[in-house]
Amino acid sequence: METVINDYISRELVHDPALLPLADGTPLLETGIMDSLSLLRLVVFLEERFGVTMGDTDLLPENFSSVNAICAYLRARQPGKQATAHG
Amino acid sequence: MGEARAARLLCSLERAACLAAAALLARLPAMLGYRMACWRGDWLSRHQTANGAELARNLRLVLGNELSPATAQQVMRDWFRLTCCEWVDVRRLRHGGRPLRRLVEVRGRGHLEAALAGGKGAILCSAHFGSYLSGFSVLHTSGFPVTTIGRWWYNYDAGISSAERRIWDLHHRPLRRHRQRPNIEPWPGRPQVAALAAAALRANEVVTICIDAPPLESDRARAVEVPFLGRQARLLPGAVVLAQLTGAPLLTCFMYRAADYRHQVLEISAPVAVDGETAATFERFASEMSAAIQRRPAHWNFWGKTGDLVNLGLIPRQPDTSPAACATRGPIADSSRRGS
Repeated sequence: METVINDYISRELVHDPALLPLADGTPLLETGIMDSLSLLRLVVFLEERFGVTMGDTDLLPENFSSVNAICAYLRARQPGKQATAHG
Repeated sequence: MGEARAARLLCSLERAACLAAAALLARLPAMLGYRMACWRGDWLSRHQTANGAELARNLRLVLGNELSPATAQQVMRDWFRLTCCEWVDVRRLRHGGRPLRRLVEVRGRGHLEAALAGGKGAILCSAHFGSYLSGFSVLHTSGFPVTTIGRWWYNYDAGISSAERRIWDLHHRPLRRHRQRPNIEPWPGRPQVAALAAAALRANEVVTICIDAPPLESDRARAVEVPFLGRQARLLPGAVVLAQLTGAPLLTCFMYRAADYRHQVLEISAPVAVDGETAATFERFASEMSAAIQRRPAHWNFWGKTGDLVNLGLIPRQPDTSPAACATRGPIADSSRRGS
């Protein structure tokens, strides 16, 4: 899962090559990688790729603060599924 | 220090008096209420000379020689009149908005209904133009679930006292009441704005957005330079990107006032194609907004907001644009037409 998400963010959302390669713990908000519209792009990607639906209450900055945080959030959302099966 | 506090207190009291007067005028028959609001606007334009000078300078700096001196004078007088009328509009949103709704003709309602029939919501693009916030409320009271992307400025402006903040909060309460969801407020540290808007669109609701808002410091990198009012302005193309990502149709919406000042038209366009390149598509939008403002310049709220015009890149930075100048400029300049 980490690899899939890291690849997507590195490919689609990182505009500054100096930030690559992206570590899973890199803060996405503070480094400016993630703004409002890139978060929406990521949400659309995650919903399609991992089959989750994100409501208003899921859209907290802390759930998207790093690749690790996103994976932790997704795993918490899918306790019965092994997310690695998708990724 | 004591003098500054006294001046701020006076400023707050003056604004409270203005808003109280608007509430009274909104209770009168429309013809009389709006006539009196215009008189009030005329009085303000004569007595708030600093505001008037600021408006005249901003008009001249942005539109240059496009307006003759007589027309510029007319625009200034109308700007003050419209401000006072807009306060009355807000107060007429009582009783489910009926007192205001019967004065507003919604044109293009079918376009919005057809857009929502697609099931992906609809994005209504507007500008800080006319009584746009009351217009969104009128749409909501007409049966469209409306949520606005925008900032309630008084919650964040450090230049106003808590008493004044409370006054503005009370004034805006009717607007807030006629929304499907609380405003989606874009501020630094809130990256979820677009995703929240997408959630509203997914629920097949109407999301409104003003594309002429000056970009926040944190968003400057995303701003694009587009021709606007005959100059280059820095604007955020978020509305177009949101439409492209969600598939929601994008429509434009303008609310303008008739010559009698009490009747208004809320004009909604047919959906606009957004499948091209983002910057080019957004430039088309900005051009449409710009043309609407140039047709009715007095309707644009930002003429009295030098700081916002500077942040948009339309005029050079001025030395006297600090919020602290509020108390000396009177109750119109800083807050009257800054909805969100």
